[in-house]
Amino acid sequence: MRITPESDNHQFSKFGLLLLQGFVLFLFFFLVLRFWYLQILRGEHYESQAHSNRWKDAQIYANRGLILDHNGVILAENSPAYSLALIPEDCPDIPATLAQVSQWIGEPLLTVEDNYARARAKNRQSFAPLILAPSVDFNQLAVIEGQQMHWPGLVILSRQRRYYTHGSLFAHVLGYVSIASDDDHKKFPELSIGDTVGKQGLEVILENRLRGKKGLNVFEVDVLGRQLVKSVTTMPKGGENIRLSLDLDLQAAAMAAMGQNAGCIVVMEPDTGKLRALVTAPSYDNNIFTARLSGAEWSKLRDDPRHPLHNRVIQSVYPPGSVWKLLMANILLSMGVNPEETVNCTGEIKLGNRTFRCWRPGGHGRVNMMRSLIESCDVYYYQMGDRAGIDRITEQALKSGFGRLTGIDLPYEKAGLVPSREWKRANFKQAPGWQKGETYNTAIGQGFTLVTPVQMAVYVSSLLNGGKLMKPLLVDTAEPEVTGLTPSTEKERQFIVEAMRRTVYDARGTARRIIRTDAVMGGKTGTAQVIRLGDVRLRTEEMLYEHRDHAWMVSWGRKNGKAYVVVVMVEHGGGGSSVAGPVSQAVYRHLFREDDGPVREILAAGALPGEARQDAAYIDDVLRAAESWGVARGARPEISAGILPGRPAVRP
Amino acid sequence: MTQLTEKNRFWRANWGLILLTAILLGVGLANLYSACAIRMEDGIGFRPFYQRQLWFTGGGVLCMICAMMFNYRKLETLAWPLFVLSLILLVLVPVIGKEVGGAKRWISLGIINLQPSEVAKISMMILVSKVLSEGRGNLGWKDFGKAICVGLVPGLLVFAQPDLGTALIIMFILGGMILFRGVRASIVKVSLLCILVSPLLMWKLVYPNLKPYQQQRIISFVDPAAASKDALFQRNQALIAIGSGQTWGKGWMDGPQNNLHYIREKHTDYAIAVYGEERGFMGNVILLGLFSLFLLSIYATIRDAKDRFGAFLCVGVFFYFFWQILINIGMVAGMLPVVGVPLPFFSHGGTATLVNFSLIGIVLSVSMRRFVFKSA
Repeated sequence: MRITPESDNHQFSKFGLLLLQGFVLFLFFFLVLRFWYLQILRGEHYESQAHSNRWKDAQIYANRGLILDHNGVILAENSPAYSLALIPEDCPDIPATLAQVSQWIGEPLLTVEDNYARARAKNRQSFAPLILAPSVDFNQLAVIEGQQMHWPGLVILSRQRRYYTHGSLFAHVLGYVSIASDDDHKKFPELSIGDTVGKQGLEVILENRLRGKKGLNVFEVDVLGRQLVKSVTTMPKGGENIRLSLDLDLQAAAMAAMGQNAGCIVVMEPDTGKLRALVTAPSYDNNIFTARLSGAEWSKLRDDPRHPLHNRVIQSVYPPGSVWKLLMANILLSMGVNPEETVNCTGEIKLGNRTFRCWRPGGHGRVNMMRSLIESCDVYYYQMGDRAGIDRITEQALKSGFGRLTGIDLPYEKAGLVPSREWKRANFKQAPGWQKGETYNTAIGQGFTLVTPVQMAVYVSSLLNGGKLMKPLLVDTAEPEVTGLTPSTEKERQFIVEAMRRTVYDARGTARRIIRTDAVMGGKTGTAQVIRLGDVRLRTEEMLYEHRDHAWMVSWGRKNGKAYVVVVMVEHGGGGSSVAGPVSQAVYRHLFREDDGPVREILAAGALPGEARQDAAYIDDVLRAAESWGVARGARPEISAGILPGRPAVRP
Repeated sequence: MTQLTEKNRFWRANWGLILLTAILLGVGLANLYSACAIRMEDGIGFRPFYQRQLWFTGGGVLCMICAMMFNYRKLETLAWPLFVLSLILLVLVPVIGKEVGGAKRWISLGIINLQPSEVAKISMMILVSKVLSEGRGNLGWKDFGKAICVGLVPGLLVFAQPDLGTALIIMFILGGMILFRGVRASIVKVSLLCILVSPLLMWKLVYPNLKPYQQQRIISFVDPAAASKDALFQRNQALIAIGSGQTWGKGWMDGPQNNLHYIREKHTDYAIAVYGEERGFMGNVILLGLFSLFLLSIYATIRDAKDRFGAFLCVGVFFYFFWQILINIGMVAGMLPVVGVPLPFFSHGGTATLVNFSLIGIVLSVSMRRFVFKSA
């Protein structure tokens, strides 16, 4: 073996040795620096990533509170609904999966892709299911479940969907829930993507009580998504079940009474302000909003000329028409007008070159205040309104609850309008100031004045409950709330109430349509002109639908100590009595349907409480009226015979 | 000139290197133990890799002792035959090799699978040592070309297997050894030009011929967003594991990223991610310190060697470990593209373990014989 000897002083090149040292130094500091960056500088960041890696939390949905009617019948409940979602991190081939989903659910691929992209943009958390199809029906579900294992990343989510058992019947009261918008998320940070939230009606007003609190299920998963530790950290807390004061049967009866008309009905208990029915027609099925609403469906609803989405009770404003005379009478009494003072109604009154007509051609002759209400004489109020003056009318109307919100627990309530000199100056800059003719019109409920039906119900209630303006209540357990007192005395109110009673029972009363022999009734009709027709008077049938008058009927009925105020407004219905009357009458037929017989028999039994006994004074009137309408004295009237047949319609 | 007897040769071995090897071995095995453990409801189960690694380690230590005893100078005469043998094995791999995961890298020898690329690595180092130890001064063009060829032939064969990681390691070791020897200025200039041009060349010629998974890895490094979900996931989870270890680590056997198997390939290439998670930054500093001392103890043998061939052998071993440590940790820590390079003492692997210990044995052999000189 030959081995080359090395000289003792042999040295490698300095460069080579330095190079090796340098390499080691580089290795050490380069990697230490990197680890310092990863573990010290960004350690917290990676720690949180590691945490969210393995700790998955699943929200446990809380049941939204039920909404029940007065008798405990369910109006809004929760039914299971299924949606299809994708966990992109678990999905090897997202485009193919989206295509398959589109095929399963029968939606265009573009829609599914759009849902995915939108959910993706909203949700930054990894491993979060992104909803591709918000509602999958049972048939689709069966197909998908069978093949789900071939499509990793696809998950079927089950959640609660709101279901309104009576759909259109309570649509405007209950409103609906729908997927939370960006604004909702700002308002309620506890909501997560895809959650539903109240959007309309009581669902939005009572949102906080109904929603409940979600539970949280936290568990550790391994890399394959297997759950290793499962622990429920928080149990969900269901929302509050809320019982409404509304009565399902009454609501249904009232809705049926509206028939094909557009309009609304308010049934209120005058003493508490509790609403027993709140009908708006035409209505819509609010269930369509909880599922996916197509653009076509939405625009059809929105553009419907009869405005089914509009809650007429609180959002529509109408001229009050002759119903306003109730308030006018109160104003006149307050300013000291003697109710016995008469005005001669010749059918018209001249002011300058303008003629203001009474609705009744030829006039009413001499009318005092009681008559003017019973027969709804316009001329009386032209003259007396002028005496009161617009300022007094404005002031008292505002104090009586008009021109302001009633505070009902529904969103988007309107205040209506009580005109005043200042209002006119501000809104009609070119026009001269307040005109006498405008006072005339205001006095009979025409002109600028606009009221909502619910304001009317509150006002009529105040006549019966001692002048209290009650907040209209929808929740049964809510405490009655007085929002104001009308400037009226007990005597004044009694006078008006008596006038309303006579308007029903008097032979020439305009509200005879709602006459009943088994209850004490009072009412006032109104016909609100939509357009000024000048001298031409057309019959309702001859007019365009949009030009026909609005029909009002405000009334109360009392039986066995229970009193109700019923306000009916039929849009473009024509005459208040002829159109709104039968609707009101149908409502009373339902309200007083209990089989406790006519008032007289109960009185004979001596079993009536004090208030009903007071009503006894009216019984003779009732029976006399009944006789005059062809019902034999002493005969037991049929329960359905609240209205007596055979009389021609009379224009109020 | 002092003539020392063969008797006390053993005590002159590089004991620092032995100590550091033992420590690194312990740390690596403990880490593999944790990486292979499967936590179940009733105790711990183990994947077979830990057990097998113990056997490999035993074999490795035997190899190391044999290599120590073996007079490395004989390798100089064996250089060419060994090199030719390794080339034959490499050529045979596509024929009789065992295919694992789309690549043929192993030849089954019954008990263990032989990885010819590892054999080629060693034989290349030995032959290059022989080539470089001849002559004096800076390397001329002729010897430079010879050395390059010796590296390039097995390098290309390994690359074709395909095993990009090992091929790169072979070329890097070669480069390190040539740099250590020192080259003429003209070679430096040409090499620099090549290094500048080669990325372009790589992109135009090499890249299209890579396997999709190799392309994927390069892309995932250059542009993480364009990478496949899978590659990205593996890379990110390793980073999360290391980062979440923070200063002190989660504790041995207690790393959630490890226990829940978020770290993939944690018993092989990604073993350092398990370590980083469980031992934290402090553990990493200590480990890098140990690796540095390990390399420096090899350096000490090089510095003290009086025999050029032996010294170059040690330089080869130095770079063999250096590149593997740098590339593996750099890759797992997200600084380098993902190439399949194992981490010595940490990654499970039979041939690699035997080779590692054999090479340490060669260094020890050089250190033991550093005072023995014979006249021609």
